[in-house]
Amino acid sequence: MTRQQQPSQHAPLNRIIVVGGGTAGWLAAAMLAARFPAGSAQAKSITLIESPDIATIGVGEGTWPTMRATLESIGIGEAEFLAACDASFKQGSRFDGWRDGSEDDRYLHPFTPPAALEPRALLAAWQADAAEQPFAEAVTAAASLCALDLAPRQRTMPEYAGAANYGYHLDAAKLAALLARHAVERLGVRHVQDHVEQVEQGEQDTIAAVRTRHHGSIAGDLFLDCTGHAGLLIGGHHHVGWVDRSDVLFNDRALAVQVPTPADAPIASQTIGTAHEAGWLWDIGLPTRRGVGCVYSSRYLSDDRAEAILRDYLARTAPFADLSTLAPRKLAFPTGHRERFWVGNCLAIGLAAGFIEPLEASAIVLIELSLRALCDNFPAHGDTLPIHARRFNALFRERWDRIVEFLKLHYVLSERTESYWLAQRGQESIPPRLADLLILWRDQPPSSYDLPLADEMFPAASYQYVYYGLGGRTAPSPGDRSARLNPAIRQRARALTAAMPTNRSYLAALRGPASPSTEVA
Amino acid sequence: MSNHQILDSNTHRDLRVHTQPDEQRGDGVMACLAVPLEFRRLQNSFPILFRRDLERGTVAALALMGFEDGENLFFEDGRWDAPARPLALAIQPFLVGRPAGDEGPGQVHIDMDHPRISNSGEGTRLFDDAGTPSPHLETVAEQLGELDQGYRASADFFAAIERYELLEPFSLDVELADGSTQRMVGYQLIDEDKLRELHAAALGDLHSAGHLMPIFMALASLSNLPGLIARKNRRMGHG
Repeated sequence: MTRQQQPSQHAPLNRIIVVGGGTAGWLAAAMLAARFPAGSAQAKSITLIESPDIATIGVGEGTWPTMRATLESIGIGEAEFLAACDASFKQGSRFDGWRDGSEDDRYLHPFTPPAALEPRALLAAWQADAAEQPFAEAVTAAASLCALDLAPRQRTMPEYAGAANYGYHLDAAKLAALLARHAVERLGVRHVQDHVEQVEQGEQDTIAAVRTRHHGSIAGDLFLDCTGHAGLLIGGHHHVGWVDRSDVLFNDRALAVQVPTPADAPIASQTIGTAHEAGWLWDIGLPTRRGVGCVYSSRYLSDDRAEAILRDYLARTAPFADLSTLAPRKLAFPTGHRERFWVGNCLAIGLAAGFIEPLEASAIVLIELSLRALCDNFPAHGDTLPIHARRFNALFRERWDRIVEFLKLHYVLSERTESYWLAQRGQESIPPRLADLLILWRDQPPSSYDLPLADEMFPAASYQYVYYGLGGRTAPSPGDRSARLNPAIRQRARALTAAMPTNRSYLAALRGPASPSTEVA
Repeated sequence: MSNHQILDSNTHRDLRVHTQPDEQRGDGVMACLAVPLEFRRLQNSFPILFRRDLERGTVAALALMGFEDGENLFFEDGRWDAPARPLALAIQPFLVGRPAGDEGPGQVHIDMDHPRISNSGEGTRLFDDAGTPSPHLETVAEQLGELDQGYRASADFFAAIERYELLEPFSLDVELADGSTQRMVGYQLIDEDKLRELHAAALGDLHSAGHLMPIFMALASLSNLPGLIARKNRRMGHG
């Protein structure tokens, strides 16, 4: 390597190398390419190196509402996205059996926040007005859409707009393929299919280049490690340590299957998470299939027992499925994240940065947030890399902490009595900040005072939905003015449920008005 | 073609109708019936003109939305662009049905062959699963009642303006920006001079019957003609 190829610390960071395809790699490449468009004054050269024979994992099949702005910003139309990714609308998550496992034990965590009222007033209104109603149903009309498998929008609305807040359920492999096509064909991303065999050290703690098997050495100014659990750059080269969070969140295994669904089966409007004796099951409805997985802790449950739980769930909820042909795929995952996510000129994105059970679909949103933070604070030149790295690491360490705390909240109020659930409530497993909040929430509702970050992972509304959904209670304080809550919300729910199509009808109409039987001449 | 049925919460429990204004679904018309009751609401958007049916000797009022058959200039790029919507369009595909000779309250009928009827699962439901009318149906029922009442009251109104000979024939050559001319013939409008000359007793008569306000509203609505011509020019690519 000649001297000239060494990145000068004052030169702009113009060559971005993304190592690894999959959702993280392609989303990163597309977001960067859209932000620094080819042919513009800010243009950057973006190369994605993808190993041809490493399969992507594709666990994250639920997104947050952030994905709408992300897709819009990279120039993919919503109708195109929905069709290409076999996607459907996700308006939140429903949690079945988390409190005591009884028949009617369920609550909803919708993306749509409560009808605007300051938290105290909201709580007083619920307590005075509709205490017999579940919290989510009482405070937002979006809950009725979820209950009836209805879409959050009509096709005549502008793309990415909705009558209720929503993200998506999608086929992660198809999303990666769509993003790859879009990034290469429309955004000018260079796609190199090759194995990275070695990392070439630059000055100080930077990476100068990666050496590939067939394309030689590929030099860059900024490297994104999107190599999944392997963490080829962040771990393999930089040896950044791992922060294990399994002391708080116990799950470390998943058994995943996909069940084809009948063409007229309803498509659920939310992810359904059903608690079992030592973990929970996810259920994600797409137009052609349901993705179902059993998440569990290997300390408390054998693989065989987990498979039995999964099969039992499918027998109950997917009677049309041929269970004899299903071969669940087993995933073992470490719960935790890197000590640092940005070292020198290398950022870890996606699974390379960390992984936590998909209870609130945090995987894809963390990719989006990482790229947003990078794009909004893109280092003007190499000099400032260490400052940016420190800031980014502090922000994302905070974000991981918040995710861990918020997921833990789903467990700590349970009244289930299996040893796994008792252990989940063990005081030593509850992060101190969360423990403090749980004490405060007995007297005051979750509010934005609990969440001082400018750009919080989960808004106060999310904490309210989960806390009150699980049966958490806040004592009424004397003098709370009791606003009327119900009539307006009920009226809005009636209007919405009449006007929104089912998810199934919406997605069928998207694929063309004529059914095959009427097409036959 | 039409296929009128009495609306029924069992037969039509799952029925959905398209509610958005849509040129392809019955709103692609140059004019529609307007009743005096709604003149006040319409006069800010549409020219209100009158038309005499020579065979039957009756008069009707129209909200003007275009200059040629099938042309509704209040659609801009497919979107409805007016703060108001005449009742006659808003209530589609519903109508009031009433047995011949019956003066009682009408029933809600629906035209099942109307293009607003949805078969795709999109559109707005008329009833919920329990058979309770949806907010949309409640609104439509109110509008139908208003239209029915307004229509039945309009005979009085037209008789009064005939009695005082307040209509004069109106024709207009609309010159468009491309140099062409659009001729409007066969309409009537309020004769402003005659209106001004009415003596106090006549005015008192019209006022006490509630006709004076719609007369002035119809007059005021004529100031929408230049705006409608501007829409026509825009659609033709001029301006």
